[in-house]
Amino acid sequence: MTPESKPLLTLDGVCVAYRHQEVVHDVSLDVAAGEVVALIGPSGAGKSSLLRAINFLEPPSKGRILLEGVEVGGSRRTLDALRRDVGMVFQSFNLFPHLTALQNVMLAPEHTLGLPREQARERAMRQLTHVGLAERADAKPGKCSGGQQQRIAIARALAMEPKVMLFDEPTSALDPELGAEVLATMRTLAGEGMTMVVVTHEMHFAEDVADRVVFMADGHVVEENSAGKLMRDPQHPRTQRFLNAVRGR
Amino acid sequence: MSTLNEWQDYLPDYLDGLKVTLRLTGVSLAGGLPLGLLLALAMTARRRTVRWPAILLVEIGRGAPALVVLYFVYYGLPQLDLTWSSFVCAAIALGFTTAAYTADIFRAGINSIPVGHREACQALGLSHGQELRLVVLPQAIRVVIPPLIGFCILLYQGTSLAFAVSVPELLSRAYSQASITYQFTSTLVLAGLVYAAISLSAVALMRARWPGRTASVTDVEPPGEGLARTTEVTHAP
Ligand SMILES: Nc1ncnc2c1ncn2[C@@H]1O[C@H](COP(=O)(O)OP(=O)(O)OP(=O)(O)O)[C@@H](O)[C@H]1O
Ligand SMILES: [Mg+2]
Repeated sequence: MTPESKPLLTLDGVCVAYRHQEVVHDVSLDVAAGEVVALIGPSGAGKSSLLRAINFLEPPSKGRILLEGVEVGGSRRTLDALRRDVGMVFQSFNLFPHLTALQNVMLAPEHTLGLPREQARERAMRQLTHVGLAERADAKPGKCSGGQQQRIAIARALAMEPKVMLFDEPTSALDPELGAEVLATMRTLAGEGMTMVVVTHEMHFAEDVADRVVFMADGHVVEENSAGKLMRDPQHPRTQRFLNAVRGR
Repeated sequence: MSTLNEWQDYLPDYLDGLKVTLRLTGVSLAGGLPLGLLLALAMTARRRTVRWPAILLVEIGRGAPALVVLYFVYYGLPQLDLTWSSFVCAAIALGFTTAAYTADIFRAGINSIPVGHREACQALGLSHGQELRLVVLPQAIRVVIPPLIGFCILLYQGTSLAFAVSVPELLSRAYSQASITYQFTSTLVLAGLVYAAISLSAVALMRARWPGRTASVTDVEPPGEGLARTTEVTHAP
């Protein structure tokens, strides 16, 4: 991130709490346009909670989220804008099983953005082609492989033409071979300049694709650095322990 | 006179009664099903002030015997200067009972949709109404149809309660025949056969359409394969 560029996404002192039990403590983070940030850390660190706070699936209990400098959450309007501009991909895909791949992808352009159906369909088809699944357009998700389902889910988020994409362990429900095709799609996206925040257990992806890696444990950001530095030369003992454990398995 | 001959004499009158029974079933469903869906939506609403009244109404409807509700509408409401024909009273009472029971079926169907689908809707910027209309209800409806059919069959048989407020439905026809001829066994058996003929054909139709499903009122089955494929994976840190 060049110093003068304004961050696209800003987390300012974000906390997340479930029933007064705070699980994410005071996280601040700037994400520049085009940047890929990997969020790593042990199970229960609060990675998913933080990611869900960004698009208000779990509204932050404290702190602020800013998108292009505008604070989100005060009004319905800023929340709608946030949901339009931030796409999300889930670990369990969450495709709508009663709709075809194409219908899944065109749903939000048609109903959230209010595009005419034909235009929504075209846009959806373009995104399915983008993730290499044009020929699965009329298939129900249940008839697609896990890797295909996750790529359809990526196309569904992309069809909103978001400014930021959030990924919550997009490959961990998949066996390695199918995970690889999803990672390839994400790599392409990153190459095209998409701004991405990715919670991942794929250390290779973090190392090769991410510009920056943020290591979280116990609800805190323990260490963050450029991907090369953090992965090769972690400073904090907690980070070292985690990376050794992950690589040692 | 043989039983069969007797039955031949009764049958036209019974079929008139059957028409009333079917009409009462239809009207009760026409009022009760939409109300049941509304109650289910209210029961699953986020706001407590919407949820609690709906839950209360459903618990009353399920808790009170249908006959008590029927007597309440027929004898109780006129004291408040609300008087209707016995058919309308029966339709109101059975419609209310239908709403209460089917609300619970609809609610179970709505709750069977994985939370992740709703979160995906929110992440895509869909409104709460769009989420229900486009994603939740189309999936829930497939889950609730078999138990709903089960309930319809029970309701059809339950319309015989309307006999108590002298709606001229099937059972009341049988009863008036019996009070003339004193042939209680044969008149009631014929009435039973007419009820059964309709119920059993409905069950058979349902079995043909949804093999392997039961028409139980209380079981709402989770969405079938392909409907909900969420995968939970835990990681070694
Ligand atoms: N809906 C919830 N209600 C209550 N507590 C929750 C909820 N979701 C998560 N938690 C708790 O919050 C903490 C952080 O969970 P979170 O899912 O954010 O961690 P994570 O880093 O994503 O872990 P994982 O790698 O296992 O996905 C955990 O202690 C978890 O038990
Ligand atoms: Mg998680």
